[in-house]
Amino acid sequence: MSRTLASSPTPRLHLAARIAAAVFGGYGFAWGIVAAGASLMFAAGMDFHDAEFLASLLGVLAFLVVFLWAFAARRLWVVWTVLAGGGALLAATGSFVQSLLV
Amino acid sequence: MHEPAVAAVLLLAALLASVAGMGWLALSMSVHAQQVWGATLSANAAKRLRAAGALALFVALVLCLAVDHPTMASLVWVMGLTAAAVGVAMALAWRPRWLGVLAPWVRVRAAGR
Amino acid sequence: MMQSFRQAMAWLHTWFGLVLGFVLMAAFFFGALSVFDREIDRWAIPSTRFEPQPMPSYEKILRPAFERMQPLPATVDAMRPRVNGPMPGRFDTVVSWSAYTTHRDPVLQLFAGYEVPNAKDPEEAIWADITIDPRDGTPLPNDRLKVGSGFFYPMHYGLTLDWKNLGIWIVGFSALMMLVALVTGVVMHRKIFREFFTFRPGKGGLRSVLDLHNLTGVVALPFHFFFAFTGLLIFAATYYFPLGHTQLHELHDLHAQVEARETGLPHERAGVPAGLADVDAMVADAQRRWEAHDKAGDVGFLVLQHVGDANGYVSVYRAGTDRIALVGDGIHFKASTGELIREDPAPTATGRVAEFLTGLHLQHFRHWLLRWMYVLGGLLGAMCIATGFLFFVEKRKRQHAKQGLQGARVVDALAVTTVTGMVLAALGILFANRLLPDDLPARGDWERYAFWGAWLLALLHAAWRSAPVARGLANPAWREQCTMIAVLAAGAVLSNWITTGDHLLRTIATGYWPVAGVDLTLIAGGVLAALTAITLKRRAALVSTSPVTEAETSHA
Repeated sequence: MSRTLASSPTPRLHLAARIAAAVFGGYGFAWGIVAAGASLMFAAGMDFHDAEFLASLLGVLAFLVVFLWAFAARRLWVVWTVLAGGGALLAATGSFVQSLLV
Repeated sequence: MHEPAVAAVLLLAALLASVAGMGWLALSMSVHAQQVWGATLSANAAKRLRAAGALALFVALVLCLAVDHPTMASLVWVMGLTAAAVGVAMALAWRPRWLGVLAPWVRVRAAGR
Repeated sequence: MMQSFRQAMAWLHTWFGLVLGFVLMAAFFFGALSVFDREIDRWAIPSTRFEPQPMPSYEKILRPAFERMQPLPATVDAMRPRVNGPMPGRFDTVVSWSAYTTHRDPVLQLFAGYEVPNAKDPEEAIWADITIDPRDGTPLPNDRLKVGSGFFYPMHYGLTLDWKNLGIWIVGFSALMMLVALVTGVVMHRKIFREFFTFRPGKGGLRSVLDLHNLTGVVALPFHFFFAFTGLLIFAATYYFPLGHTQLHELHDLHAQVEARETGLPHERAGVPAGLADVDAMVADAQRRWEAHDKAGDVGFLVLQHVGDANGYVSVYRAGTDRIALVGDGIHFKASTGELIREDPAPTATGRVAEFLTGLHLQHFRHWLLRWMYVLGGLLGAMCIATGFLFFVEKRKRQHAKQGLQGARVVDALAVTTVTGMVLAALGILFANRLLPDDLPARGDWERYAFWGAWLLALLHAAWRSAPVARGLANPAWREQCTMIAVLAAGAVLSNWITTGDHLLRTIATGYWPVAGVDLTLIAGGVLAALTAITLKRRAALVSTSPVTEAETSHA
């Protein structure tokens, strides 16, 4: 269960990578949530500005949750995969829904 | 809604209810009962104080709703709870005996911890 | 460090709390001052010390003022890189003219947006704004700095760092870190109910500081969480996640077209000139309609869209004085004929949630008790952060002293700068505001220099006096700056008296509370600072060198 920094060869680099994952990966993931959320809710008939607002609300909360998780998670590669990968997938969903509507 | 004087009285009453409520909740905790009376209360007395505290906080909410639009009354109530809690905490820190005023029926029991 | 969930959260709370805490102090302190921003404006601009006014007549007051407005030369210069070709001498094609007022505004701010010919972005607009006396239309000179609404308020959401909105991003990230600090704080301090009322000043040192940190954090937890959260939401769609103008702009444009068709409010100009009917009659009509719906109210926001064009329309919005929404119940008229186009329907459920969340933060309602409780919340937040700094330093300074490290010293000096130093900066600008000559060109700029100058001096003083911290002792700068605060606060109140004659006895007797309130707050703050300085002096005189035991605290 040990994921101490001391066991990592370059503890400073590992920490920097974790912070980067939390900040940039987290932002990317939040962006994805807003993209997918706003486009899907608009597609479901909600007013655009309402959808944008609600999606931003979820995006901020999602950023908070994944930021904490990025520091609590055992393996950093899982964090990067979920945040960068998940974020990209969600953002792509947003663009896809948009292409269907416009 | 009401004229200013009525609103002021109702809001003052709400604040007092919040202070009483927070005070009773504090007194129901053994560490604070110890600070105020030098002794802990019986489990039943503590339970009664907790109930009284919760009821007082609810009364404060009702009073707030009587004055303002619900969107604002809810905020006034929450912030009133904060102000009341700070007041009670400061009383406990500097003048714990003063809080005894909220429960004058409590007699200090030397035994029965 | 990260061996368990609790340890990881504690590490996050300590280090991100420390670094972003310096920014958050500014957000909370200037946010607390912003609750009374318009009242501070009255103090800073004596010519505006009269009663709040309702929205004035369009024909008599607003139209002549709007027609005179043009963007400032500096704004035109800033627009140049976004235009293909020469900039016109005058901007005449109006995108919108608008005026916004609340129950606390004696003066009225007007906004005018103009189309920019040959702009790279076809939706580009250039803006001008002026402030007028709504009783007769006289404009305020544009270098009068509104210290409250034009400086303290932008400071709290963007540190007045406008380059590429960098300040807004920094404050935004720290707001997110505030949420992180609240959640991680609760994880670390599990006994949030058991120790809800706990503050033990007698214990001294680390225990007392930590108690106060926990108390101020928990007792106002809903406030801290909701203000950080709603602050982020207010800027989310515009700055942090601007999808409507980037990735999803096609959906945004589609919606704009659909909405224009459904509401009858055209998004673009028709290109056909047309006149303007009686706007005052339209405003009166709107007020009658509100009354018919049992919602009699004041005009909060008046907008004239596509002025001079056949597609022009006039929108009248009701001020949210008695409720949480900023403005609402918009009624729209065709500009050229005055006929009704649309009465806004009741907001959707999401719309009501958005109104509630943004309205609770932006506070345009009339409720003086709630306003003062907001100030309390802001000050509790500032105390939470300040005690966090004190705890960080107290916990490490003896250890650092033994190991010859400078960390505690640096943090302590920065803490002095962001706590007492920031108050000194705020007092500095108020003091300069009264002392600078009235006709000094670019007076507003000089007032800003006084602010930053005072803050810089506080930093230098704190750093210079911080050597004892490296030996495990207290920094005398704390009590020295408290003394300076007491002196400057008294000086500010006196300078108001001397330069305007509106001393406390007069302002209280005539009931002019905006100015009386600022003076009274300055006095209260000064007294508090003086008492703190005396207490710290007394404590320094009894300095003991007994080591702090590890048992005093069990937190990370």
